[in-house]
Amino acid sequence: MSKNFFEIKDVTFAIGGKNKVNDVNISIKNEGDTICILGPSGIGKTTMLRTIAGLEKINKGEIILKDKVISSDKIHIEPEKRNIALSFQENSLFPHYSVDKNIHLGIKKNSPTDKNIDSNEIIKILNIEDILSKYPHQISAGEAQRASLARSLISQPDLLLLDEPLSNVDQSFKEDIQVALKQLLNKNKITTIVVTHDSYEAFYLGNKCALILDNEVKQFDDPYNVYHFPNSVEVVNFLNRGILLPAKVTGGNSLENDDLGIIKGKFVKHYPTGSNVQLLLQPEDLEHDDDSNLKLEVVDRKFRGTNFIYTLKTPSNRLIPVAVHSHHWEQHEVNEKFGIRRPIELEHIVCF
Amino acid sequence: MKKISILALITSLFVSAIAVANEVNIFNARHYKADSELYSKFTNMTGIKVNLINGKSGALEKRILSEGADSSADLYITADAGRCGAMDAKGALQGGLTSAAIKDAVPKSFRTSKWVGIAKRARIIYYSPERVSGAELSGMTYEGLADPKWKGRLVIRKSSNIYNKSLVASLIKNNGKKATAEWAKGVVANMARTPTGNDRAQIMAVAAGEADIAVANTYYLALMLSGKKGAEQQAAAKKVKAFFPNQNDRGTHMNVSCAALVKGAPNKANAVKLVEFLLTPESQEHFTNNTFEFPMIDGVSPSPLVVNNLGLDFKQDMKTKLASYGKNQAAAVEVMTAAGWK
Amino acid sequence: MFRYLNIWFFSSLFVSLIIIVPILTVFSSFFENTTNYFEILKNTFLFEYTLNSICLLVSVLFLTFIIGTGSAYLVSFYEFPLSNFFKWALILSFAVPPYIYAYSLTAFFENYGTAYTILKNLFGEANYNSHIPKFDGMLGSILSISFSLFGYVYILTRASFLYQSQQLIDLGKNLGFNSYKSFYSIILPSARPAIVAGLSLVAMETLAEFGAVDFFSINTLTTGIYNSWIAFDDLAFANQLSFFLLLFIFALFIIENLSRRKAKYHFNSRGGFKRKEKFRLSKSKALSAFIFCFLVFFLSFLFPLSQMLYWTIKFPENLFDLDIINLLLNTIYLVFLSSIILILFSLISNYGNRVSNNKILNLLSTLSISGYAIPGVILAVAFITFIAWFDETIIKTLGFLSIKKIFFGSILGLVLVYFIRFYSLAFNGIKSGYEKININVDESAYLLGYSKRKTFINIHIPFLRNSLLFVGILISLEIIRELPITLILRPFNFETFATTAYISASEDLLEAAAVPSLFLILIAAFFIMITSKYILRDNNE
Repeated sequence: MSKNFFEIKDVTFAIGGKNKVNDVNISIKNEGDTICILGPSGIGKTTMLRTIAGLEKINKGEIILKDKVISSDKIHIEPEKRNIALSFQENSLFPHYSVDKNIHLGIKKNSPTDKNIDSNEIIKILNIEDILSKYPHQISAGEAQRASLARSLISQPDLLLLDEPLSNVDQSFKEDIQVALKQLLNKNKITTIVVTHDSYEAFYLGNKCALILDNEVKQFDDPYNVYHFPNSVEVVNFLNRGILLPAKVTGGNSLENDDLGIIKGKFVKHYPTGSNVQLLLQPEDLEHDDDSNLKLEVVDRKFRGTNFIYTLKTPSNRLIPVAVHSHHWEQHEVNEKFGIRRPIELEHIVCF
Repeated sequence: MKKISILALITSLFVSAIAVANEVNIFNARHYKADSELYSKFTNMTGIKVNLINGKSGALEKRILSEGADSSADLYITADAGRCGAMDAKGALQGGLTSAAIKDAVPKSFRTSKWVGIAKRARIIYYSPERVSGAELSGMTYEGLADPKWKGRLVIRKSSNIYNKSLVASLIKNNGKKATAEWAKGVVANMARTPTGNDRAQIMAVAAGEADIAVANTYYLALMLSGKKGAEQQAAAKKVKAFFPNQNDRGTHMNVSCAALVKGAPNKANAVKLVEFLLTPESQEHFTNNTFEFPMIDGVSPSPLVVNNLGLDFKQDMKTKLASYGKNQAAAVEVMTAAGWK
Repeated sequence: MFRYLNIWFFSSLFVSLIIIVPILTVFSSFFENTTNYFEILKNTFLFEYTLNSICLLVSVLFLTFIIGTGSAYLVSFYEFPLSNFFKWALILSFAVPPYIYAYSLTAFFENYGTAYTILKNLFGEANYNSHIPKFDGMLGSILSISFSLFGYVYILTRASFLYQSQQLIDLGKNLGFNSYKSFYSIILPSARPAIVAGLSLVAMETLAEFGAVDFFSINTLTTGIYNSWIAFDDLAFANQLSFFLLLFIFALFIIENLSRRKAKYHFNSRGGFKRKEKFRLSKSKALSAFIFCFLVFFLSFLFPLSQMLYWTIKFPENLFDLDIINLLLNTIYLVFLSSIILILFSLISNYGNRVSNNKILNLLSTLSISGYAIPGVILAVAFITFIAWFDETIIKTLGFLSIKKIFFGSILGLVLVYFIRFYSLAFNGIKSGYEKININVDESAYLLGYSKRKTFINIHIPFLRNSLLFVGILISLEIIRELPITLILRPFNFETFATTAYISASEDLLEAAAVPSLFLILIAAFFIMITSKYILRDNNE
């Protein structure tokens, strides 16, 4: 069995004597992988990063990087000796140095140069060429965040920690930078942990995602699984990309809902026939078909660019989201009826 | 940087702690240029270094008292007998100013074994010859300042002024507290303005026509006449004449600048030498010509400015012991405050 | 708990103790009994002192408010002749301490004073004295203190005006407010915390003022304490007065701190900040604005400067009598020693607070900045009292040699009391510098491989360099002007410009006081000029 590059074993993250996240087990198998930590604000994501960086201590468990324990209840390697870079959410540039000097402070004189990072490339990719000669107080929050990111990247860390790295970056830039960042990380084999509350960012950047909910890691899995196979009601609620409908299991591959009727598909988990479950229904699951006799009332329509999300009301007053391609020519207004194709067949059935 | 400051700290520690053998330390509340010149002369003559700490008398006294037996002070020099007396009462002084040279030079009522007067000043009345007739002034006394005829015509300093305290203390000594309390009320009623300014300001108020008579020390007019205060004040001083009160009874109220020997003085012998030096005719002459005070010793005449403008011969109050100024000081303050003397 | 007990904790504790002990001495002797031989007069005195203090305080606050906010308003919102010059020239008033202002007032307006000379030279001999107003006593004190302290209100208010968002003012215009209405209902209220902070500083300094009120023989609570302590040896009464005064001052101190905090929130609101365009005033209005600012500048700085200059020229012998080199060296020595020690300890405390983030430590440092609230006279006397007591009851009992000589009349004692008095200046100055460095910055440095020491030296110090310089000069200014502490505690044969001026003035030798006063003003003005950039700094520049 090969060892993990980075591992958090049974660690309880606490700050100021208050426990934030309990008994965490997370690992990064290969050097160069990226994992994302996802969760609501205030849950302790930043505390986790600070602890990994060595800015906070732990009383329980151990954190291992490259086969070396860097934190445990007894061992605490000082942050300056860890070679872990942390890019803060807020501006952490040295106020009395220019952006250029700030970024190049990241270059360590005596670090192993097995990775050869081209600082010019990073500067170009992050689009901060124009602000190099400026001072931190003269630039915008988004620019500061990118400069800070550049500094962290250039420091060639064993482990890069990014705390909401693009939260202040303009939406128009954001996707470009996400793409560039991902390429950069892959190319240079930089092992990274990204904290974010944006699930799309997490799904895009991370090889794996850890969902922190209710003071614990609820799910640690690859993005596809997190999205399609959430392991708990909490995860569903957090991702907010589907609803739970009451249903009754009617067989090995079917169940029945009072409003939608029979639904077929492969159960992810086995439930005995006749048991009452909560079925996860995501916007992609239902298809539009005005010829269908199953008609529901439209209560809202959101234009999302690539698609419309219709919110439909069932006879038992439940609201169901349905995604429809935005070039779809038959648009339905509020209060109109909206048909749903039957029989309803799902790729997989997730129940709780 | 750190090292330098530590070094400096250490050096500064020793600045005050190291005792240079041949020196005398003066806590000095008299700040005339003439005094410093005399001290340099003393150092040149005797090789004894004179260390000065200048300050207002109150603060200096407090420091002497706080330092107690460990005080580095040898002599306390101040411009009022009342202060020396008060320091004596607090037990901060010691005897020892009893050498023949001192005893011979200074009249008995102007010294004790712990402090001696080194120069005299009289507190007198100044008047405007234009507005005050000779008849009005005839036989004028301090007691007469309360006479209603001076209503709205008198200026005098605040009651907090030490010269006034000593003057009133001498009145209490001579007339009793009760009579002096009445007198103070009369004086307050006669004031042309709420007391303000120093002695010179009182004289100038008469010159400027704000008042007809003023109470102030002798040397101020001489100072103004000397031109050291500028041509305007010289001209102003000429509009004012001096009058020496109480010539028909005990004489004009006298005060001294005094030198007191501090208890625990580390350089007692040098201190006595310095006092003796200040009482030599040369030093006394230096005082009279520069500070315009009256000499403490016989055989030296006051400055010609004083002699010509204030009058040569007047009866000094040699009877009232100067030590009483200190003793009656508290009563003096009480009397003046009760009368509403600001 | 024990993990808090590191070197930072102990150094902060040490600093705090040095400062708190004399303060406690004042309070501890409240119940001491002394023979109060003027018991009957106390009520009269207490009433008079309190009345004088209140009268002084109210008048000074009123005047400094008018002068300070008025000039700050004009230079921040309008363009008129020399408005950019006045912007910094008005802070030169700090170069003139109240006592020197008092000498100038007296010199100019007294009978046969400078005003008389001018009139005589212009119109010939006549008795002008009765027509020349007399500014002495209470009125003189009020003017002296107001003109030398209004700068506090000016600086803080101006900074606040500068950061008022253009949006607010635009909003006012949008609502149809004219400039008066805008001023009263928008500009002034939103600068209130800054104005209150400035006025509280003025109030503290006014209550603590010694030199000017002593010169004019006005009995305030502070001079009352000094007199009853020093002249009457009535410690109990002095302490009663101190107690009232300190309660009063601490209330101001708290108000000032709270307001400053509010004012800071105000400054930090970056949103909507836009450089304001100054209004160009019409001719007649521009003239009025110019006249107002020029009058303030003239009265607060040019007038005392020229009076002292005039006297120095008129009585040149005083210039030659004075050992200026020696005074200069003494002043520089004190300034350097005190600044270095103050800055060093404030840096340590601030750094300690930053890295340990300990609540007890924070409380201690808050306590240790309270020295500024205590009048210098009281501090000096309390210090002497404390050392004397400590020496008699502890050192001597233990059989050691007396320590009095180490502290009385030594530079060490002097610098120590300066330290207590001005620690808050240094501490707060460095703190505000530190507050601009986000704590993330330290952590980033650690993560980039900087040790704590290296972070301090390579990151903090370069960033704080300007703050340190500014704090150093602020301390220097205070020490150059400082009077009562220097007067009471200085060693033998040691004079500064301030003490020389004071001693000469107290001996009715005002002309002789002119030379040291002139030098004091010039040196202080020089210091102000080289730091005006920082004093008037804009956070965004």
